[in-house]
Amino acid sequence: MGFKGGRTKIRIDYSLCGDTVDPRSCCRCLRVCAPAVFQLHQSFGVRQANAFDPQSWRITPLWPSLCTRCLKCVEACPKGAIRVSG
Amino acid sequence: MCDICMKHGAGGKWYLNARHYSEEIAAKYNLREFLLEQYKNFEQIPVRKVAGVSPAGLGYKLRIPIIGRLIKRTAERLLSSNRAPKNPFRPEGHIGQVVPLEDAIAILEHCAAEPIIQKNCMCRYMSRGEKEACCINFGVMSEIIDRLPRFIPEKEKYHLSRQEAIDRFKEHNRKGYIGTIWFGPFPYINNLCSCATPECAGIRPRLDFGIHSIYKAEYVAVVDSVRCRGCLECVASCQFGAIQLLPRDGGVRIDAERCFGCGVCRHVCASQAIALAPRDEIPALQGCY
Repeated sequence: MGFKGGRTKIRIDYSLCGDTVDPRSCCRCLRVCAPAVFQLHQSFGVRQANAFDPQSWRITPLWPSLCTRCLKCVEACPKGAIRVSG
Repeated sequence: MCDICMKHGAGGKWYLNARHYSEEIAAKYNLREFLLEQYKNFEQIPVRKVAGVSPAGLGYKLRIPIIGRLIKRTAERLLSSNRAPKNPFRPEGHIGQVVPLEDAIAILEHCAAEPIIQKNCMCRYMSRGEKEACCINFGVMSEIIDRLPRFIPEKEKYHLSRQEAIDRFKEHNRKGYIGTIWFGPFPYINNLCSCATPECAGIRPRLDFGIHSIYKAEYVAVVDSVRCRGCLECVASCQFGAIQLLPRDGGVRIDAERCFGCGVCRHVCASQAIALAPRDEIPALQGCY
């Protein structure tokens, strides 16, 4: 993967997690991440989000600057939706 | 005394000023509607843009020269805002302070407005996907949670009496969670949380990004080196990394600058060597909150 130092980029493929799958049913990346980089939330941009709508829930790597690049999230994701690069 | 106490403490600690818990304030600022709107959309507030800046990748944004400093100042101004709450989509006036067990008990005994409830900690849900009932809420907030079932703990009792709330808080505190009291929004106090790092969205900005989002407690932990037997249990219990092993004499040292004064380390100390001292009495720490 070749980390060069500098900013860590964490990408989640939302076609695998979020759009079709309700992220609340899995949350494995949230649990394995020691510095708690990921955040489960309701999608932004919507003024009135409906908490009962599964599609309104997303997982976002909100604090990539705290990532230690241990790649446990990549291993833990059952869909292989997470990519970490530097 | 920290600056919130100076301004709003009426001669004592701000969180022991019963006026902040009163129905009068809730009615004056129309907090029933404000908080309902806020908690309906609670899980999207931490990811919303504030003044055009998204919090995603905040650590990198704060490193940008000048702009980083501006972002930090804007965030601090928003959190410690003293104006009447207007926008329920922003964490306006949501500033808190660490409280040790004794002060939390005083709050629950004398100040907290009925009804008292416990609700699921949303910080922990959003950063770990687990629901754990460890926030204690009072007054208007309890009425709002009644209408939002996702905050209500499924297996446990959720309306608590004063004594039950105290017992619950003690249990969390002994487990190692830090007690924190929050304005939500200023000047209404409705949250007594039991937080843990790194999940807590209130402590994280301060520890990881240097944004003044929470005040340190009015106390600081001091260790009695004669009593200390060097079992190092306290080192493991400190969430702020403030306790250090002194390998030469097998004791510990508490870094007073890092100590938040939560008092959690006292519960694990078998020889009762750690006590809390008022922060004001230590000259080097005066004004460091």
